[in-house]
Amino acid sequence: MAAAPDVTSNTLRIAVDIGGTFTDLAAFDEATGELRFGKALSTHGALVNGIQHTLLDADVKVDDAYLFLHGSTIAINTLLERSGAKTALLITEGFRDIYEIGRVNRPDAYNLFFSKHEPLVRRSLRFEVPERLRADGATHRKLDEDAVRTLVKSLADREIESVAVLLLHSYRNPQHEIRVKQIVQEELPGVFVSASHELSQEYREFERVSTVAANAYVGPRVAAYLGELEDHLQASGFKGTFYAVQSTGGLFPVEHARRECVRMLESGPAAGVIGAQAICTQLGLPDAIAFDMGGTTAKAGVISEGRPLTTGSALIGGYERALPIQIPMMDIFEVGTGGGSLARVGEGNALRVGPQSAGSMPGPACYGRGGTEPTVTDANLLLGRLDPEHFLGGAMALDVEAARKAMSDVADRLGLDPIKTAEGILRIAITAMSYAVKAVTTERGLDAGAFTMVVYGGAGPLHASAIAREIGIKRVLIPFAPGHFSAFGMLFSDLRYDFVRSCFRKLAEVTFEELEDIYRGMEDEGRAAIAGSVVRPESVRVERAADMRYVGQEHAVTVDLPEDLFLNADHAAFKRRFDEVHAVRYGTSSPSEACEIVSLRTTVLGVMAKPAPRTVPEGGEEPTADAVRIVKPVFFGDRFHDTPVYSRTHLKAGNRLSGPLLVEEHASTTVVAPGDELVVDRFGNLVIAIGSARS
Amino acid sequence: MSTEPQTPAIDPITVEIIRNGLLAVTEEMKTNLMRTAYNLIIYEALDFTVGLFTTKGQTISIGLGLPMFIRGMAETVKAKIAHYGLENIHPGDILVTNDAYTTGSHLNHFTFTQPIYFEGELVAFACCMAHWLDVGGTLGQVTTDIFSEGIQIPIVKYRRGDVVNQELVDIIAMNVRLPERAMGDLRAQITAITTGERRFVELVKRYGKDAVLGAVDILMDQSEAIARANTRAIPDGVYEAESFMDDDGVEVGQRVPIRVKVEKRGDEMTIDLSDVSRQVRGFYNSGFTTGIACAQVAFKCLTTPTEYPVNDGSFRNLKVIMPMGRVISAERPFPMRVWMTYPMTVIDTIFKALASAIPDRVAAGHHADLVFPNIHGVSPADGRLFIVGIGPLGGGWGAKANEDGVSATVCINDGDTHNSPSEQLEAKYPVLVERYSLREDSAGAGRTRGGLGAEMVVQALSPFSLTTRIDRMHCKPWGLDGGGDAMGNGIGIRRNGQWEAELPNAKIFGVRLGRGDAYMMQSGGGGGFGDALARDPEKVADDVREGYVSRAAAYRHYGVVVTPDGALDVEATAARRAAFGQDSGEDAAFEVIAG
Repeated sequence: MAAAPDVTSNTLRIAVDIGGTFTDLAAFDEATGELRFGKALSTHGALVNGIQHTLLDADVKVDDAYLFLHGSTIAINTLLERSGAKTALLITEGFRDIYEIGRVNRPDAYNLFFSKHEPLVRRSLRFEVPERLRADGATHRKLDEDAVRTLVKSLADREIESVAVLLLHSYRNPQHEIRVKQIVQEELPGVFVSASHELSQEYREFERVSTVAANAYVGPRVAAYLGELEDHLQASGFKGTFYAVQSTGGLFPVEHARRECVRMLESGPAAGVIGAQAICTQLGLPDAIAFDMGGTTAKAGVISEGRPLTTGSALIGGYERALPIQIPMMDIFEVGTGGGSLARVGEGNALRVGPQSAGSMPGPACYGRGGTEPTVTDANLLLGRLDPEHFLGGAMALDVEAARKAMSDVADRLGLDPIKTAEGILRIAITAMSYAVKAVTTERGLDAGAFTMVVYGGAGPLHASAIAREIGIKRVLIPFAPGHFSAFGMLFSDLRYDFVRSCFRKLAEVTFEELEDIYRGMEDEGRAAIAGSVVRPESVRVERAADMRYVGQEHAVTVDLPEDLFLNADHAAFKRRFDEVHAVRYGTSSPSEACEIVSLRTTVLGVMAKPAPRTVPEGGEEPTADAVRIVKPVFFGDRFHDTPVYSRTHLKAGNRLSGPLLVEEHASTTVVAPGDELVVDRFGNLVIAIGSARS
Repeated sequence: MSTEPQTPAIDPITVEIIRNGLLAVTEEMKTNLMRTAYNLIIYEALDFTVGLFTTKGQTISIGLGLPMFIRGMAETVKAKIAHYGLENIHPGDILVTNDAYTTGSHLNHFTFTQPIYFEGELVAFACCMAHWLDVGGTLGQVTTDIFSEGIQIPIVKYRRGDVVNQELVDIIAMNVRLPERAMGDLRAQITAITTGERRFVELVKRYGKDAVLGAVDILMDQSEAIARANTRAIPDGVYEAESFMDDDGVEVGQRVPIRVKVEKRGDEMTIDLSDVSRQVRGFYNSGFTTGIACAQVAFKCLTTPTEYPVNDGSFRNLKVIMPMGRVISAERPFPMRVWMTYPMTVIDTIFKALASAIPDRVAAGHHADLVFPNIHGVSPADGRLFIVGIGPLGGGWGAKANEDGVSATVCINDGDTHNSPSEQLEAKYPVLVERYSLREDSAGAGRTRGGLGAEMVVQALSPFSLTTRIDRMHCKPWGLDGGGDAMGNGIGIRRNGQWEAELPNAKIFGVRLGRGDAYMMQSGGGGGFGDALARDPEKVADDVREGYVSRAAAYRHYGVVVTPDGALDVEATAARRAAFGQDSGEDAAFEVIAG
């Protein structure tokens, strides 16, 4: 990178999130405290154009910015659409097929027509390397460098664009992988190359090979895209620093993102959770569920004790055919299929909602694109919760008759009237999502009922009140600009480096000196990376954790380790901490039984200055008269209620309203049910106290 | 008109909401069991089943763990009800048994059941079976009666109200080799059933007892309706097929015949298993419950494969003829330790019988074995006994009429079962995995090809004893509709650098391997479907380029000529296919490859 330009006078921070449908921009001016938003359709094939449109929409200029933060679906789309590079895999002799064999599981147990994951690298492009390490890192068989060189030279004729390297036990000793990578770089200059230990230093060879292969597969395309974007920004006069958003929600420099592209897979959804965390911090809420529902999926993340829950690996693609990615990520769960879920009647009058979805083509019946089966969106329309004239800010008129016709077909088969059927379909979708959200929390020993639900995404505010009521959640919060939330969240991201090292040791036998050495090694690497970044963070923070289990158990649990544990070198406190976490997570603990460490984890954060909260003008409890756009019938419980529809832009801090009511804004509608109380707080959030009665 | 009596009908919306609720309950039971379990057979291999049952012991919903245990828990709950009588099962009680002739499986399957009471009334049962790593008994040998297979716990109460029967726990702990793990798994199972109880009560509180129990009935009717509709679509007729097991591990080479008869009339099906072999001396028997499960698993795969929850309604139009004393309806004291192996072949044989009737709904034969060797020895790291199963290897699945078979995937006994990462094995046990790969040419040829089997070679870094109980070495996974058979399962032993001469079967019991010695496990492929000469030559050439099929096999079985650099020779292929059947192809294949 060029030397740091003088951008000290610039105070603008721009964040752009490219999603499947829309590209969103959020910009924050530190000097004025002003927050701006922009939105444009994502332009497939020329993503940079979408960014340009959001800049115009928000009326901000990149040459005023000192920071450009960016998340994109390019990595995950490249993976899911299989549009990545022609990739070769170099792997320990004897293990060429482990990437294809996988974990041999067959989740769809009674289905003879099941399928399994498909590797990103064909068998004929997977090559074995003569070498072998043992589990303790010792050399069992020396790396045959000449053989590697001969092999790599032969790849030159095969138009290989990218190379992944996985050698067994490289998490313990990366020397062989490092050498193989060097040889590839020497023999195939210009080819993208990625070694597994650079991404994951945890055991489990299938998960690691899948991770490194995915990185190599998406790498050339993502790197080219980031390069193009960087050039474009520079040509537009941008002189600041360009950071990409990782699946942890943390930032890393773009030159780093170009090598470790797989870390960007879930950048948008992760940034949404960071945004939810920022709002919780402002309001002093320790525990929240971040609920994000768009047109095609609903997702949830969890914030516990002020921190988002993360995971050490995730499965990308449907479970049955998923490719595992073993890197630290925000723990985000799919909890539903969104507004496009189809309602169908099967044998025995069985009504099902989803998992089939109308997708975007033909889409719900009311889109008028030829869909004839009712969806959750059609149900919302018939129940008066969506406005046919104001959908997506009026960008798309909805066809009520088409929705009614589709609904009637299903209703007739069930012997119900169409409205009852619509209400039923909605209720089924809501309860299914509520079970999924509950599962996310109970799986971790948390009580969802005690959490606040922070809701965003176009379809989130439409369903939030009902889902919260099902779960027993008392408070729902719709932030300002729920439709731009991922971009907004990026403004609160910190620089972040995550490290994990496998370390199989019984706790009683390991010394704090040994642990300190490993942690220090990881932390020094993170501190050096942050020190090398152009933007100086406010401070550097280090978080330590360990994956631990009772001796004999297979499954490990991640235990956050406070600093004083290490200051006092207190084995007993260490053990107690594990017992406590185990008890919370699983309901049981065995203080008398020995435990062991599986991996050590460190996160090094370069803490960035956070945008100051933006406030909205104060108003009385009663909103101004012009806040109500219309009063219309909306179905709640068992009948239509005359329901006022408020325009969000007219609501002021302090406004207090009782449901039923709707609040409309550009790309989203908030439903406040009878019995719910809505208050607009001073930051413009809609805070809904959920009534206890179920509608 | 307003005086018309209102039946408290439950609307389809409520039914669907309760269906989702029941699925959520059994999912959470499963999650809690997996996350608290102590052994990888539960955590990774998912050798367990959790479920909710009616007060008559009928299945309401079972959370998918072990598909083959589709029947085992319901029958165990029924046996427990019959043993005590409903009136003697009180709130807080937990009943346990591992009786092999009740569960239909082996003694490792400890099954705990808790009654679910709501406002003083019994409304359902929550139940959890899980596989314990060790239950005592002979280690590493073929057993010939149940008494040598470990501790037997008849139906007893583990807990009466809130008082745990500590004497029972002490007896169990003294009779198993790894008591800490057994007790850890026991606690995990209790967590699972108490979760089931709590969540089911919440559901009843939320929607009302009548709605929930009424919805349970309706859901069973719905499952039945789907099963009947899909059965109706099968042509009427009587369909038969047979296959065999290699042997029972005692009388080596003595084949064990498997014959099945399926009769389909209207929307009913009868599966007659009377002609499956008599019970055998070696430990490959399973109980009556598993005999019924064979028929039910096959039936579910054909009629309601993706319908959940699994409930008893799905099987109302299935009749099973299952006399006692067969190898899948064995009687005390016939040994049962490897209960899971033969039933898989019974299921595949049912598919084989129906292949002519519904070719597009069945698959050709699969490898039908877990290929899961056990080793035990003393760990040099800590001087303690270790017992570990290394697998399942995953094997080939049969081709379907319009799809190739899937490679290296777990057999039908198991579902979401994971193998063990080699890096994890090597970190914990004194072994070195030399190779884990696909077996070239192991799949059956056909218009659609079978999936490939796998192969693993494991070296001893310190001495250990090896036990394999693998079948289907001789009875190869069969092709359908003219498709070719696949390679069968197999094993090998290497001592002092020499692979031993071919073994008579794939069963060895407690054989000691020294440092540097190794064993090899091989899983079979899947059978092919349809005439191999009808397979698109480009697909064959692609299989050759990818190394799934050798050039010789492409020539011999598919009549396809592929050049040494992987290109399809269109003319030579046409000529070869035209001449196919006029010579054996063996010599010509040799020439082609040599040239």
